[in-house]
Amino acid sequence: MQIIKSFFITILMMVPFLKTYASELKNNASLGIDTYTDNAGVQVYSPTFALMKTLSKHWLVGFKMRIDAIAAASIRLSGAPSNVDAVASASHKSGFEDTRYAPTFLAAYDDGINSAGAGIYYSTEEDYIGKSFFFHYTRQFNQGNTALGFGYSQAADTIDPVFKRDINKNKDEKKLDISINQLIDTTLSLQFIYSYIDSSGFLASPYLYNDAGFERYPAQRTGHAFSIKGLKYIDDKNSMNFSYRYYNDDWEIKSHTMSVEWLHDLSETLMIGTRVRYYTQSKSFFTKKAGTFTSADTFSVVDYRMSAFDSYDIGIPLKYRTSEESPYTFSFSIDYYRTSNNAYIKRWYGDDYIQALYTTFRVDYAF
Amino acid sequence: MKYLISSALLSLLMLGCSETLTRVKPYEKEHFADTKMTLNILEGRTEHEGHIFLIREASAGGDSTFQGGCGCR
Repeated sequence: MQIIKSFFITILMMVPFLKTYASELKNNASLGIDTYTDNAGVQVYSPTFALMKTLSKHWLVGFKMRIDAIAAASIRLSGAPSNVDAVASASHKSGFEDTRYAPTFLAAYDDGINSAGAGIYYSTEEDYIGKSFFFHYTRQFNQGNTALGFGYSQAADTIDPVFKRDINKNKDEKKLDISINQLIDTTLSLQFIYSYIDSSGFLASPYLYNDAGFERYPAQRTGHAFSIKGLKYIDDKNSMNFSYRYYNDDWEIKSHTMSVEWLHDLSETLMIGTRVRYYTQSKSFFTKKAGTFTSADTFSVVDYRMSAFDSYDIGIPLKYRTSEESPYTFSFSIDYYRTSNNAYIKRWYGDDYIQALYTTFRVDYAF
Repeated sequence: MKYLISSALLSLLMLGCSETLTRVKPYEKEHFADTKMTLNILEGRTEHEGHIFLIREASAGGDSTFQGGCGCR
């Protein structure tokens, strides 16, 4: 089951932050589980596994596997079950409704000045196939005070709704990132990122519908995001990081995202933190007052994400090692997420807002 | 395209200011070696929440990460 309810691997190919080491390629294995649950009835349990193996001083290959087990009525992930059942002739099943297997293969090079990485990704689920490739390159300048990064990814996905619909089944996305890292002084580092995102194909949900029929979106979308991120050393036990992002696209959605995180060492082996994130966005140019769309409208919106709303997130990260020399690192986080009240959320989910609780847990082993 | 050009010009500008931009000597970088001095203190959380925000909000990008394949945006 796809689109909104589609919980999926996020393949992380970070453009590296400024490094102070010659090379950071290390052998590492990790095992973990992520969870997500919200008041719309969505529950997701995602076991993860990753293995990174150096081939030489400068080369590394890796494999990541994520399994998303989506529990609760999968149809409800797209909205009101009774409504959708009537259209899709679908019935609810108990237990895990959909399981996604999402492997990623990657390779990385790092010689201390230049770092690069590339990989491929494939995932399949009941109604969606994702195929992507990605690469990035970063070079350091000015005695490691400055780093320029470039990243590109391209996805070619296929949508196959669980019930017959005559739609364009393709969805393509290209993403380009350019980043600049700069050390400001001995305790402060800043990063600037620009992202260009181009999406085309079937961009609405094949399941969401209202009195005007199924959702209808434009078949093309181009977005731009600008971010500034900062990292501040406070003292031996405390540091903080912060970020701001401005986003806009040709659907006339504009958003601002702000985040601040404080990290504190409780001991030599235990670190705890607090993070607060705030997000606000405007509506798309084809979004009208909820419930006013007709079949004569070129575009029709059911998804609340096309409307104006705010959200905030409060979280606690935790990191622990049994000793400073231990090869094992344990990581845990818990976050509470909530949107503002929204008429679209009310119409589809029955609640005034979405609220969610999500956690992550990882055990890393360095060898 | 104008954004790309602007970014490229900014990059070139920075590369032309190497003396100004060499602000921290190698022997002054000890604080950046602190394990807390990272934008993604928990990689697993970054991956997980990146996808959650993509599903729950209409924006994307600005994070130097690749996120794709789910049709969630």
